[in-house]
Amino acid sequence: MESGLSSLLSVSIDFETSHLFFPYIVHWLMGGLFALILVLNVVPFLAAVRRGERTLPILGESMDKFRFFGTLVLIVAYFYLMSVVGNLFPYTGYGFLFVSMVFVFLMSLMYMHTRTRRKVITAAINALVAPSLAWFILAKLFQITLP
Amino acid sequence: MFDILSLLDITFFLLAALGALVGIIFGAIPGMTATMAVAVCLPLTYALGLNHGLALLLGLYVGGISGGMVPAVLLNIPGTPSSITTTFDGYPMAQKGEGERALRVSVVASVVGGLISAAILFLFAPLLAEFSIKFSYVEKFLIILLALTVIASMSRNMLVGIFSGVLGIWLSLIGTYSISDGGNGKTRLMFDFLEPYLFEGFSLLPVLIGIFGIATILLEAEEGVKSGLAGKNITFGKGGGFSFTIFKGRLTNLVRSSFIGTFVGMLPGVGGSAASVLAYTQEKNLSRDSSEMGKGAPQGLMASESANNALTGGALIPLLSLGIPGDSTTAVLIGAFTLQGIQVGPLFIPENADTWYVMMTALVFANIVMFFLMFYAIKHIAKVVLVPKYILYPIIVMMCVVGAYAINYGIMFDVWTLLIFGVLGYLIQKVGLEVAPLIIGFILGGQAEVYFVKSLESAGSYAIFFTKSPIAVVLWLLIAASVAFSVMMGLKSRARRRLETSS
Repeated sequence: MESGLSSLLSVSIDFETSHLFFPYIVHWLMGGLFALILVLNVVPFLAAVRRGERTLPILGESMDKFRFFGTLVLIVAYFYLMSVVGNLFPYTGYGFLFVSMVFVFLMSLMYMHTRTRRKVITAAINALVAPSLAWFILAKLFQITLP
Repeated sequence: MFDILSLLDITFFLLAALGALVGIIFGAIPGMTATMAVAVCLPLTYALGLNHGLALLLGLYVGGISGGMVPAVLLNIPGTPSSITTTFDGYPMAQKGEGERALRVSVVASVVGGLISAAILFLFAPLLAEFSIKFSYVEKFLIILLALTVIASMSRNMLVGIFSGVLGIWLSLIGTYSISDGGNGKTRLMFDFLEPYLFEGFSLLPVLIGIFGIATILLEAEEGVKSGLAGKNITFGKGGGFSFTIFKGRLTNLVRSSFIGTFVGMLPGVGGSAASVLAYTQEKNLSRDSSEMGKGAPQGLMASESANNALTGGALIPLLSLGIPGDSTTAVLIGAFTLQGIQVGPLFIPENADTWYVMMTALVFANIVMFFLMFYAIKHIAKVVLVPKYILYPIIVMMCVVGAYAINYGIMFDVWTLLIFGVLGYLIQKVGLEVAPLIIGFILGGQAEVYFVKSLESAGSYAIFFTKSPIAVVLWLLIAASVAFSVMMGLKSRARRRLETSS
């Protein structure tokens, strides 16, 4: 019995595949937990959804589609263009500076619910000043690399 | 001991003060937290040295936690999750025209909580570190396991909490099994074409900044970024009316709440709201005159605010003695340490005594600055609550980018990591998984692997985890206790719910 238990617990790890040993255990753990959650939480939840008591997250909720997807699109464009423009002026941080200005202004406009002249002008000033300030302090004073 | 005086120059104190001010502003704006303040301001520390960087970050931390009281009292909106109980008594007081008085009571309570927890940190962290220095890989692995169990058992649903933690570990395993940790240097959990980007796995800071910065923005964008505050007026009342006699006979409350806050802060991954809620309910149960609580009693403010500021010292204890972050803000602080090439863990305090004293100085000084700023300038600071989000959010995204890009000296993939984890953080919160266990799992996953695999390689049997030392057995008992506690709480709340539905 004793030897049976110790042989059950004994383990040898081959160095060549030792990078897969822990992930293997983690995968099993994740799979097991996921199955448990599925049975204990998700199935009752879906049943409640079918009865109309609860709503599905994301899909069933009302959301501000324009602002949500607008944010995603703006961020992707921001990240992408930053490196494109940055490559035109390497080691200057201009890519960050110029693209940030446009991005900050567009995002401000998108998040505004009512656009008055005053608000738009405030946003424009902010879009000019904030990136310049960040660029000046970080790139110029602190010598931090920027795109 | 006196060497450290040379490390403390004017810049050091100015940075701590600046940190406290910026932190208060972040904390005061609903939806922005101390974690976000630290994450967004990290790039500023790249160019600063370790000591100056720490001064700034600790200032941000203390300020960020304190700032939450401002909208809690004035607008009935907790600025940070931990100031939820401040609204219970703060807002009724503000409606009675005692807003400024309420804020000043909160400020005093905050500084008491902050300083008491700093004192506990100062006394306790070196002891814990000295104790844990003898830990072998087995105990270190079990400590991480314990940390994850505690976080999970404090989650709303333990199963989901554990799953989130394991998911965090999984994410941390992407990349190589590093040779410097005794691994074989092979990559796993990814496609070959990603190898140039993910060889070292995801960088910690872009992940954190993504989850705490970008995900928050996405969550707000989904709601339509409503300002909601435009029509509201901030009323302070006539001012005055505050005197320190209000604290007469409240010392027990302050000290008790501070201890509760420190203790809850020590538990890894337990959010700030748990501390203030616990302190508030304790005051309600134990105080002789709790009938006014919830209607505008200063004692409620004292309990809530001293507990939530005491979190700061508490959360730093496991960080500095075990290398395990006590909350999400200290998780970001780990990133800052790594950035400066310092490994936090049992050896941190003995090997970096100067840094340790510098940190304590910064922490205490930040608390004092916070007190003076908020006690005397609160009226002016409170106006930031009204700064529109359409101005703030673009700037936050911009600062996130800077932080992620600069961390490894200009790698564009780190910026994309920001987006990946921003979206992931959004999805996680939408489907009901928990962010705190995930983050702690992500931070500790790599170490957990090394400790686990190395223990097995040298012992050749799983039995080593139980038989290594008495400490290992004690740790197992603690793990079992925290699971049992969570199961018990779960059953209790289920029974209560059933009672409510049947009645």
